[in-house]
Amino acid sequence: MTRVKNNHNRPFSSTSELREKTPKLSSSKTVFDGIKVLFTLPVILYALLLIFLPLVYIFFLSFLKSDSYGGFLFEITLDNYLESFDPTYLGIFGKSVAIGLVTTALCLLISYPFAIFLRDKPERTRSLIITLVMIPFLTNSMIRTYGWITLLRKNGVINSALLGLGIIDAPLSLMYNSLGIIIGMTYTLLPFMILPVVSAVSKVDQSLLDAAEDLGAGPLKKFTKVYLPLTLSGAFNGSLMVFIPAIGYFFIADILGGGKAMIIGNLIKNQFLTARNWPLGAALSILLLILTFGLVKLYEKIGGDLDELGGA
Amino acid sequence: MNTFRDFLTSKKLLLLFLFSLLVISFASVFFVNFRSRSDADEPTSEKVPTLNVLNWTSYIPSEVISDFETEYGVKVNYGTYSSNEELLAKVSSAKSGTYDLIFPSDYMVDLMSSRDLLETLDKSKLKNLDNLNPRFLSQSYDENNLVSLPFLLATSVILYDSEKISTPLTSYHDLLREDFRDNLVLLDDERITIGSFLLASGADLNSVETTALENSLAFYEKLKPNVKAFDSDSPKTFFITGEVDAGIIWNAEALLAQTERENLKIVYPSEGFALSMDNYCILKHAKNPDLAYLFIDYLLRDDVSQAIVDEYPYISPNRSVTSLPDSELETILARGTYVKNVGNDIKKFDKLWAKYK
Repeated sequence: MTRVKNNHNRPFSSTSELREKTPKLSSSKTVFDGIKVLFTLPVILYALLLIFLPLVYIFFLSFLKSDSYGGFLFEITLDNYLESFDPTYLGIFGKSVAIGLVTTALCLLISYPFAIFLRDKPERTRSLIITLVMIPFLTNSMIRTYGWITLLRKNGVINSALLGLGIIDAPLSLMYNSLGIIIGMTYTLLPFMILPVVSAVSKVDQSLLDAAEDLGAGPLKKFTKVYLPLTLSGAFNGSLMVFIPAIGYFFIADILGGGKAMIIGNLIKNQFLTARNWPLGAALSILLLILTFGLVKLYEKIGGDLDELGGA
Repeated sequence: MNTFRDFLTSKKLLLLFLFSLLVISFASVFFVNFRSRSDADEPTSEKVPTLNVLNWTSYIPSEVISDFETEYGVKVNYGTYSSNEELLAKVSSAKSGTYDLIFPSDYMVDLMSSRDLLETLDKSKLKNLDNLNPRFLSQSYDENNLVSLPFLLATSVILYDSEKISTPLTSYHDLLREDFRDNLVLLDDERITIGSFLLASGADLNSVETTALENSLAFYEKLKPNVKAFDSDSPKTFFITGEVDAGIIWNAEALLAQTERENLKIVYPSEGFALSMDNYCILKHAKNPDLAYLFIDYLLRDDVSQAIVDEYPYISPNRSVTSLPDSELETILARGTYVKNVGNDIKKFDKLWAKYK
């Protein structure tokens, strides 16, 4: 995130510097800028038409009154927002956040040992393993989620194997509960955590690790005193990319949770499809957006500070 | 040149752009809302007559449609939906005349006709009309069958595995038994599932009274430890793979599950159950109403009706298609209740549904 921000800032600042220092170049620069605008126009239009515009539409919708069947009346009201804070819906918000936090924590727990293990491997092995992490992305995530049913169900692969080996007496309830949802979310979102964490861990200076070792730091101390402080930015980046989808991926909650646990994603989907209450769905979407935006802002704040501390 | 460049990067341009977006989005809100009322139809010039059908997923076997196409030399554009609400959304957001023939359920027929979306049917164009059993006609949602004719009837039933459950089930209350812990599947459909528990707690399937709804929630709270999953797409799979031993599912799903596992038993719960009739309806401003009548007449034919229920074993209103003995059919129709349009009270169901989960 910070890297992207820098990339955006640099050309702009250097352009303005150039303009001030060498005024003669300004006309050719103008043409260049014009071309630049021309070439970015399709992307800008795409983003505005397909992302920004629908958001504006949702924003206005969230202030309208709903009529009985999917329509809305042109009356400005705050009812939809007040309704969103009903205890029932707050409970769903709370449950979604809990599922998101557990998923994020699990992804962190898996990603760090993985990243540290990968750090010392030769370049070729590393890129091979990273490719293997990426490969599942080639298949639709919904199909992969259905695949988990075969593994997790009562007489599925895992339960049959454990029963056959005599490790358990009765089949375990691995899905159609919160456990199923968390397994599905962690599996689907893990790559989003692995990539930033691996990249952050691989950038940690070897001399710092050597120094820590010379001063008698064990593996745990090395992790808490060297790895963790230097990679917090990457970890937060990954956490953001895991947490935000985890509170909205309704299909995982539907398929592996057996439709029993509603998360914000399902709630919004239901308002649009079943309850025909688009304004309430819009208000819930806007609240989710505000939550997401707040997290990104928080990240920018922490990420910025960490950048300075890291001092790279 | 310089001023142009400055203009391109200035905040004014951004503001202008954002302002125009604002205007466009406002305009689009109005446009979407009023478009359906304006008659801005373009004339079409297709050579092969094409019928535009919207129907439920898994409802008419594809051979039935292709046979119709070859027999009459026409083309059928077949779109699908998986809920009545989705159908309503598709119909009201598309330009009028996009679809000719649709298959809404009972309460949606009522709703759509109150919104003046459905064409009054000219029954003289249907020579196979007499194949319909009058027992299925003139129902509460369309008392004189002005805009709809019955296509297939679904009922909710209890299905259980008689091999694992030795004492037979007769009612929803039997599902509260200890041996069903984490062992039930329910339909992921708020009207049917809440409706079943309204019946279980002594109220009407369509009740919107606060106390009745609270009682149904209280019943569900007792049942909750037994519920393994909610599924509407393919609840039969839960029975076929042995994931659950009992559940409340659609009759056709139950019959299909029985073909895989013979010891599954179907029960019509003593407290009552839901009836859901899907109907032929022609939309107002349909471009090919004659073709729609032709297709309805074709589907009303005995052999075609039979072919449909052979693949999807719902209850056909066609009198010669024998799926049930008369007495049993009579009991089903007498004890079942149609799902009714509850208007704005649907919000109560939705909120309750959020509490279920």
